[in-house]
Amino acid sequence: MPDERLRAGLAERIDRSQRIQFTFDGRDIEGHPGDTIGSALAANGVSTLSRSFKYHRPRGLLCAAGRCPNCLVNVDGTPSVRACVEPALDGMAVTSQNAWPSLRFDLVSLSDRFDRFLPIGFYYKVFHRPRFMWPFFEHILRRIAGLGVLDATAHPERVERTRHLHADVAIVGGGPAGCLAALEAAAGGARVILVDDAPELGGHLRLTSAAVRGDPRLDGLDGIAAAARLRELLAETAGVTVLSEATAFGIYEGGLLAAAQGTIVHRIRARRIVLATGAAERPALFDRNDLPGIMLGSGVLRLARLFGVRAGRRAIVLTDGPWGWRSAVDLLDAGVPVTALLDAREDPSVGMDDSLHARLVDAGVEILVDAVAVSGRGRGRISGLRVRTSFGERTLPTDLVAMCLRPEPVTALAGQAGAQRRWDAALGVMVPDAPPDGVLFAGHVEGADDLATVLASGVLAGRLAVREAGVEGAPDPAPALAALESARASAGEAVAAMPVGKGPGGRKQVVCVCEDVTVKELTLGVYEGFDDLETMKRYSTTTMGPCQGKMCHSLAAGVQAELTGRTRAEVGMTTSRPPYHPVSLAALAGPHLDPVRYTAMHDRHAALDPTWIDMGDWKRPLHYGSVADECRAVRERVGLIDVSTLGKLEVRGADAGEYLDWLHPNRFSDLKVGRVRYRAMTDEAGVVLDDGTVARFEADRFFVSTGTGTLDAVDQWMRWWLAGTGRDVVITNTTNELAAMNLAGPRAREVLERITDADVSKAAMPYLAAAEVRVAGVPATILRIGFVGELGYEIHVPADYGAHVWDALMEAGRDLGIAPFGVEAQRVLRLEKQHLIVSQDTDALSGPIESGLGWLVKADKPDFVGRAAIAHAESTGARANLIGFEAPGRPVPHEGAGIVREGKLIGRVTSAKWSPFLEKTIGMAWMSIGPFETGTPIVIRHDGRTVVATLQAKPFYDPEGVRLRA
Amino acid sequence: MSFLLACPICGPRDVYEFRFGGEILRRPQPDADEQDWVAYRYLRANPAGQGREWWFHRLGCRRWFQAERDTTDNRVIDTWFAGEDGHV
Repeated sequence: MPDERLRAGLAERIDRSQRIQFTFDGRDIEGHPGDTIGSALAANGVSTLSRSFKYHRPRGLLCAAGRCPNCLVNVDGTPSVRACVEPALDGMAVTSQNAWPSLRFDLVSLSDRFDRFLPIGFYYKVFHRPRFMWPFFEHILRRIAGLGVLDATAHPERVERTRHLHADVAIVGGGPAGCLAALEAAAGGARVILVDDAPELGGHLRLTSAAVRGDPRLDGLDGIAAAARLRELLAETAGVTVLSEATAFGIYEGGLLAAAQGTIVHRIRARRIVLATGAAERPALFDRNDLPGIMLGSGVLRLARLFGVRAGRRAIVLTDGPWGWRSAVDLLDAGVPVTALLDAREDPSVGMDDSLHARLVDAGVEILVDAVAVSGRGRGRISGLRVRTSFGERTLPTDLVAMCLRPEPVTALAGQAGAQRRWDAALGVMVPDAPPDGVLFAGHVEGADDLATVLASGVLAGRLAVREAGVEGAPDPAPALAALESARASAGEAVAAMPVGKGPGGRKQVVCVCEDVTVKELTLGVYEGFDDLETMKRYSTTTMGPCQGKMCHSLAAGVQAELTGRTRAEVGMTTSRPPYHPVSLAALAGPHLDPVRYTAMHDRHAALDPTWIDMGDWKRPLHYGSVADECRAVRERVGLIDVSTLGKLEVRGADAGEYLDWLHPNRFSDLKVGRVRYRAMTDEAGVVLDDGTVARFEADRFFVSTGTGTLDAVDQWMRWWLAGTGRDVVITNTTNELAAMNLAGPRAREVLERITDADVSKAAMPYLAAAEVRVAGVPATILRIGFVGELGYEIHVPADYGAHVWDALMEAGRDLGIAPFGVEAQRVLRLEKQHLIVSQDTDALSGPIESGLGWLVKADKPDFVGRAAIAHAESTGARANLIGFEAPGRPVPHEGAGIVREGKLIGRVTSAKWSPFLEKTIGMAWMSIGPFETGTPIVIRHDGRTVVATLQAKPFYDPEGVRLRA
Repeated sequence: MSFLLACPICGPRDVYEFRFGGEILRRPQPDADEQDWVAYRYLRANPAGQGREWWFHRLGCRRWFQAERDTTDNRVIDTWFAGEDGHV
């Protein structure tokens, strides 16, 4: 196995004294702690990491910075991990993806030879005819489409988290400008968050041995030492929080800055955001420019400097300006052999530092001027580069091409924040225009490439940000502005990048490595009329892959300009939208929070091992074993159910009665102290929102109960109608402080009498009485109501006493045959009484009249919420009626089952149960067409069968309500 | 959605803490025409620009307040408690 490690360098991050081992497609790979998967693979001479999206072309490391799609691999079951930035850990199982059957021999790559069948927009064009063949092709295409495979059965143990961070100044980018901005802002008293996608700060300085000048803190150091100095200074500075290996992927409205750091998404709120996102290289366009071994120069340097890995042994540098000469010298310094340098310019002396030239000549580097790459040669990895100069074409042997074209400002976040981008002809790149409100730019992102200017702009941005953030005592930024202007003045003349354009020829000039889009395909697209960059983007999917245009945006724009005969300024850029960088949906979703609420008597239920049901956040016993036995206990003896989940609101104040009148069709201002009344609330459309009870305990104090799931909505509704009215009303939600239980059955009074001194006799506490008494020695609110249709007491006690009172009632009723009953029995029992459940038996159109609650409406009230709509409904007649039905046997129709007559749907079932006590099927239904008289036969559709039932307008059980009033 | 709203009690908070309560409407008189009631119940101005709205600080002080917001960029110009005429 080849070993491509260089001698140890000053900037490297690996620990050569230790070894780690992992597998790649089953093959053992050795590396060192500190390696990424990609650097370890490169050190072992592995050059193909993946197959491309469409043509399954072999792909190797390109950017080595987590920006391109070429190194996506599966790591221990997680797909699409970027190998070049993912730390290599001992024992990892890494597999290639998008290759079938194997990375080395991929059958789908045959499509590369037949690319005329997969033209731009092929999914609109081919495989659709003959039409009957499309399902066949679709099946195959779906198999080979996409990147990686998600294991839907895996349950990773990682935990996603969302963190909310607040700062005066947030800085994106940990290069020299970002670091200096952070130092200056912190020195001015700001709380600073510095977001950097690299594992350590310093940005491109970490890769270069160039001398640094322009800031007294760094002058005289080389790049690597200057990066280390910046890290030291920041470590010594209070008030700076550094988020390393965190990618800022979006700036959203309101200035929300979002950054992903592994499984954590940071939501950062800062008074000012400094974008020091730097500049990044782009690939060159020539035939077969995507062969493994063709990399961005910064990627080659990153491997060499940070991981001590030689990406090749005879490198060719492609460039269009002095920046590439600098990179070539850095490659030599780092130990990467460079054999040739191609400068595309006719006159490379412009802006040139002669010492660079001398250095390359000394090292024996062949220098070709006015020279461009024509095509890559080799199978699986580059072995030669065909080049064209003014003297003609020739092929240079090579195993590594370092593309060192002018780094272009990374403006995606600036664009998201609202900055316009404009073409800077002097530099030959797009730069952001004026920063939007709340945002400042620092460093290379503005286009500057002179290091002194970059450093000065970082200092100024930090000073301006702390001042604009309103931090007291922040220093005057004027001297920093003067320093920046002086640095700009003394910088040499800017050298423009060579225009991006298609190469001299060839079918495989890859523009978009994510989506496998070539110059040829863009050419076809322009012929087809897609002459606008935005429409071309959508048609060709260029810039829409995992890298979101990081590699291809300027290539696509340049080719578009060339093909349509327009300038880059006219072609412009496509809109930048979040996320700038891939973020897992799980990380965006954040932690899986599933709160569960338990009632005060939960342990008592759990001891009986009931079947549970989730109602909202609550856990409630559905039944304790036998629904039939529970129903029988309530009808024949006495039962006890936990109803703590009901919403409870205390409404007090001089205007409380009048206010409850306003909110309901019926009246409460005339409710006597010590009485309870049914309530149903309507909205302005006359739709029933919720029901429950209102009890009055003092002239100005009411106790309101709501449904389990409607509490929050009712609470908000009641507060909304109160807002700004000046009424003397105070609403307090007492749901959590009270436990509640319903004691019901013919022996209920006997049970209650045994544990209270209060007079609960029929005379003292008749049906619909309410009292505040003591039960089992603790304060209790008792309402004599009967949802299940028996003599019953709803008992509310402080939650801390809930279990105590439950125990006392169970103990007191033991010899009377008391039994706990659950939600299912309650549903059966209430249905026997045709007591409706709002939002089960009613829907978003149900008013009180058609719901059988017309008796509630007090038409003589001058006004209340919903009055006009209810009056209108009264005048036009009910749209439908809620009515009971029964059938002698089974099956019990599904809730929601349709009711048909003569082939027409005339209604639907809202509730249906088997009544073990009455031994028949009972239910309720909406009927839109009469007759509605008791005894009318109806036909219900149930699972393709028909069930015949008859209407029953009155309660199935105790229609006169005698037992309720016992 | 990620803009901030200044609750009159709690100060600037993430919009996710709030419930949107709709446009501020004028409720018709009880004897108003049916057309007025229909408009009140179902018709909204839905301006592209500044409008006055109800908001509820659900995960905070649980108070309703009113806000002027620009629907084109979610800029909140002002927030205040409803005056005595909040519901007329």
